[in-house]
Amino acid sequence: MTILRLAWHSLRNRRLTVALTLVSIALSVALLVGVERLRHETRNSFSSTVSGTDLIVGARSGPVQLLLYAVFRIGDATNNLRWQSYRAIASDRRVAWSVPLSLGDSHRGFRVLGTNGDYFRYYRYGRSQPLAFSTGGPFDDLYDAVVGAEVADKLGYRIGSELIVAHGGADVGFARHDDKPFRVVGVLARTGTPVDRTVHVSLAAIEAIHSGWQSGVPIPGLQVSADAARQRDLTPQTITAALIGLKSKVATFQVQRMVNEYRDEPLLAILPGVALNELWRLVGVAENALLVVSGFVVVVGLFGMLTALLAGLNERRREMAILRSVGARPMHVFALVGGEALLLTVLGALLGLLLLLVLLWFAQPFIASRFGLFIAVAGLSQHELQLLAAVLAAGLLAGVVPAYRAYRLSLADGLSPRL
Amino acid sequence: MLAFGCLRIGHGERVFVEGPSGSGKSTLLSVLAGVVVPQSGSVDILDTPLHALRATHRDRFRADHIGYVFQQFNLLPYLSVTENVILPCRFSSRRRARALAQSSSLESEAVRLLGHLDMAGELLQRPVVELSVGQQQRVAAARALMGAPELLIADEPTSSLDADRRSAFVRLLFDECGRSGATLVFVSHDASLEPLFERTVRLAELNQARGAR
Repeated sequence: MTILRLAWHSLRNRRLTVALTLVSIALSVALLVGVERLRHETRNSFSSTVSGTDLIVGARSGPVQLLLYAVFRIGDATNNLRWQSYRAIASDRRVAWSVPLSLGDSHRGFRVLGTNGDYFRYYRYGRSQPLAFSTGGPFDDLYDAVVGAEVADKLGYRIGSELIVAHGGADVGFARHDDKPFRVVGVLARTGTPVDRTVHVSLAAIEAIHSGWQSGVPIPGLQVSADAARQRDLTPQTITAALIGLKSKVATFQVQRMVNEYRDEPLLAILPGVALNELWRLVGVAENALLVVSGFVVVVGLFGMLTALLAGLNERRREMAILRSVGARPMHVFALVGGEALLLTVLGALLGLLLLLVLLWFAQPFIASRFGLFIAVAGLSQHELQLLAAVLAAGLLAGVVPAYRAYRLSLADGLSPRL
Repeated sequence: MLAFGCLRIGHGERVFVEGPSGSGKSTLLSVLAGVVVPQSGSVDILDTPLHALRATHRDRFRADHIGYVFQQFNLLPYLSVTENVILPCRFSSRRRARALAQSSSLESEAVRLLGHLDMAGELLQRPVVELSVGQQQRVAAARALMGAPELLIADEPTSSLDADRRSAFVRLLFDECGRSGATLVFVSHDASLEPLFERTVRLAELNQARGAR
C-alpha cells in the first residue's frame, strides 16, 4: 500500500512525461477496444436485422450480394425476379408466408421499398420481434407510405406529411416522380435495423409511379396522372427479391433446391444465416487485420511507457538510496517502479475507455444515420474485458524491465548512489 | 577497501569519524547500515550479529533501529515535509509504534520533531524542493530521528552548509540524540567540528587495507 502511494506521488511529480505516456496508452486502448466494439456491434446489427426468415429468393447472383441488397439495402440487384416466378414459389405448399420486396427508388437518401401488408405481419428482427408502429398503421391507399423511425426523425415526418419519391438512388430534380406524391400514414417504431431508414410503399404504388416511364426516364406523351394510374392494372412485372418463411425447417433445403433449379429463369435462394457467415468469413480477414494492427498500437504505447520509465531511472538513483536508507528493501524499489507501470497502464486504460465512450456517444448518431449501424454506448463485453486484461498484463510485463533495472541499481548503489 | 581490527562504539556515544575521501568512509557506513557485510569478521549492532543476517533481515533491522542522514538531497521531492519525516514509519512498525507512543499521530510527532529542529509554521507547507539546503538537512535529521532509532548515522550532513550553520546543526543533532538516547556516528572530513565530539575515530589510522591512504 505504502509503495503504491509512493508510486502515485512519484508519478504526480513527473506530470508532463506521465501525462504524455497516459495519452499514448489511452489512445491505443481506445483504438483497440473501439475496433473490437465496432466489429462486435456490426455483427450484432447485421445478425439482428433478419430473423425468422428461412430463405431469401432473388435473381441469380451471389449469396452475399443477394443478402446485402435484399436485407441491408447495400448495393443494387443485378437482375430482377419475375412476378409469376415469385407467385409460383409463394404458392408452394411448403411455404408458410412470403414477402415480396421491390427496391430501386429512393427518397432524400433513404431507400424506398415496395412491398405488401405481409411485410408488417411477417418481417422479424432481433429476437423474433415483429415490426411495431409508433403512430398510424400500414398503407392502405395507393399513395400511402410508411416510414421508418430514422426517416421520420431526420426529415421531421408525421402522419399526413407528403413526400416525393425519386427514381434510382440519387435524388436529382429531373428523375423525380413528383406527379405522384405520397402521404405518410404510419411511422414504425425504432428497430436498430435498416428498416428505420426505409420508406415503405405498396408494390402497386411502385408500378403506378413508373407508368409512363421507360429505362429510367419519363417518356413524353405517355404520362399518366396520379388518378389515371389508379385505373390501370398495377400488378408488378418483376420484383427485386422475396423473403420466404416455411411451415417446417425440415423443408428448407428442398425448397432451396427447387428455387435454385427453377426452370423459367435463373434464381437463387439463400439461407440468411449461411450467407451471413460467408459475409463474416470475407470481412473477418479485414477485421482481424484491424485488430492485430490496433494490438500493435497498444504495444507501441506500452513501449513508450517503458522508455519513459527507463529513461527516468538514472535520475532517480538518489530517490532509491533514500528509500533504502529508511529501510526499503530492493524488492520495494522493484515494486515501486513496477507499481508505477501498473498505475500508468490502469489509468491509461481507464482514460482510453472513457475517451472511447465519449467518442461513441458523439459519433453514434452519425454512424447510425450514415451506415445504419447502432453502436451501443454501454458497459464492456466479456471479450472487451479480456482485451483489457491482456493490456494490463502486457503493461505489467513492460513494467518488469525498468523495475528489474531499478532493483539491480538499488542493490549495487546501496546508500551511496553514483550520480 | 576497508580493513581494521576492531571498532567499538558504546550506547549513547557521539563519535566523530574523520577521514579524507577515499579512506573507506562510505564502506564503513554501508557496513554499519547493514547494506553490505564484510568479507570477513563480524558486525554486531545492538547485540545483533548483522553479518549473519540475510539481506532482507538487515533491511528490516535498518528500518527498525537506524536513522540515516545523507550529505545532501535527503528528501523525496514528491512528498511533503511531514510525509518525508514519517517515511521510516512506513517501513517499520516498531518505529511507528515508538512515534505513536510520543504523540497522538504520526503527523503530530513529525511536527514535534521538526519544531525541535527549528522547523515550524509555514515552512512545513512548502514543497521540499523550495527549502534551503540547511532546512532540508534539518528535515532529514527529523526523519532520521523519527520513531527514536537507537543508532543515528550522519554521512557528512554539514558539508553543504555554511561554516556558522554547521556547529548549530551539530548541536541540534546532539540535543535530539540526548533526548532519545541515540548513539550518533557522524562522518566528516571537516576537522573543525571535531572539538564538539567526545570521541574521534580517524579512519586513515584505522584502515589497514593496502592502497588506502
